[in-house]
Amino acid sequence: MIQVDNVTKKYGAVTAVDGVSFKLETSQITGFLGPNGAGKSTLLKMISTWLIPTAGRITVDGFDTQKEPLAVRRSLGYLPEHNALYDGMRVDRFLVFIARAHGLSGARMKERIEWAVNACNIQPVLTKRCFQCSKGNRQRVGLAAALLHDPKVILLDEPTHGLDPLQVVKFREFLMDLREGRTIFFSSHILSEVLGISERVIVIQHGKLIHDGPVTELEKQARERKSDVETLILDKVRKAGVSEAGREVRA
Amino acid sequence: MSAKASLSFGELIRGTRNVAARELGAYFDSPIAYVYVIAFAVLANAIFMNDFFLAGRVEMRGYFDRMPLLFAVFLPAVTMRLWAEERKQRTIELLLTLPILPLQAILGKYLASIGLLTLFLLTSLPIVIMLATLGTPDYGLIVSGYMGVMGLGAVFLALGMFLSSLSGDQIIAFVTTTVLSFVLVLTGDDRVVAVVDGLAPALAAGTFLRESISVMPHFEAFVAGTVELSALVYFAGMSAVFLWLNSIVLERNRG
Repeated sequence: MIQVDNVTKKYGAVTAVDGVSFKLETSQITGFLGPNGAGKSTLLKMISTWLIPTAGRITVDGFDTQKEPLAVRRSLGYLPEHNALYDGMRVDRFLVFIARAHGLSGARMKERIEWAVNACNIQPVLTKRCFQCSKGNRQRVGLAAALLHDPKVILLDEPTHGLDPLQVVKFREFLMDLREGRTIFFSSHILSEVLGISERVIVIQHGKLIHDGPVTELEKQARERKSDVETLILDKVRKAGVSEAGREVRA
Repeated sequence: MSAKASLSFGELIRGTRNVAARELGAYFDSPIAYVYVIAFAVLANAIFMNDFFLAGRVEMRGYFDRMPLLFAVFLPAVTMRLWAEERKQRTIELLLTLPILPLQAILGKYLASIGLLTLFLLTSLPIVIMLATLGTPDYGLIVSGYMGVMGLGAVFLALGMFLSSLSGDQIIAFVTTTVLSFVLVLTGDDRVVAVVDGLAPALAAGTFLRESISVMPHFEAFVAGTVELSALVYFAGMSAVFLWLNSIVLERNRG
């Protein structure tokens, strides 16, 4: 479970995230949408404990990200934006390093690594160094690393970046399989991708939450308007952009 | 796995060891470490052998005396990548969102660099064997000399790691560490002290710098065979200060 209460993040005079609140339940996949620079990654970085909110509170699996960051990190599987890996390391050694950092060892570590390697289909690159992996393989190695410790909460920042269409389809199926008993929150700026996997969609624009609700509700609204969900969301983003621009002009 | 809010001592050690092993492995993932170790060994041993044949004394002082200037060039090359590369490759976010404390990441990296320093010094073992073969060297003097060299290296490595955390550019980290390492060495040089004192005799700034910040008086005491508590406190204290500053920089990154 993730609870975000009135969270704001400021960089000097710039407000990257502005008073955002929501609560994500277990066994649910939630898509996080927004144009580039909307504040998606900043919010995910705060949930992951990498950044500290300027105001507000975030809890992950009941642990406060500022007061109990270690407990949060143990509960969390996080795939950061750009999926940076230790390029010089071999993939298998990289996974062992991550597993050990999560306190795994012995037979349990071996079992979890085997599971992650098979689940993410990275056997062919196990003995390669990370820099020798293709973009898609790097993404899958990052995902395997994020899932090694069997986290209750999975946080993925642009997880399909670099994957080919077939890999995206497989990734969707994989995420659906993981869903039970876990909270999955993933960001993307590709609308169709989020709608294809998520049960709930949160949309952010200029750091502010402009939509939070189930996909079924969006589909209902779209039917009533004789439109489609994508157009409906794009209208919301445009409206939020226009009102923000108007506010800036007035200011 | 239960999610505890704190770390036990055993977990603290295991996490630190995990980071140290990764860092030490990273040096040897590329030819960097091999090149550093070979270059250091050739240079340090060649300079010593030249002095040794001229002086004709069965002692290692000539080797230890060259270490401050050699370390001021070689050790910044060891530390420059420690944080700067993490920032450049953006792996710093991956590392510091793992369930480890920043302290474990800092100590792990520091221990890895100490490990490489130890490897540098192991290349001088043939000198010890040669001296033992040729005569009867003062082993106490050799041990205290090695202790001084380790203390000196520990300070330079902590300084370099701190400066590496300030920059995403390894070259900047290397240059600033080299310059400040030379400052720590040269402020202990009698000629530099005399020049600085001469600029404002009333202030005696040169003498003040030698007695307060320079690494040399403490290092020279060890090389002369005197294991002083004040020197041990200086080495440990300076290293701790730089590691602490490093932790502040990491915390500030989280904004």
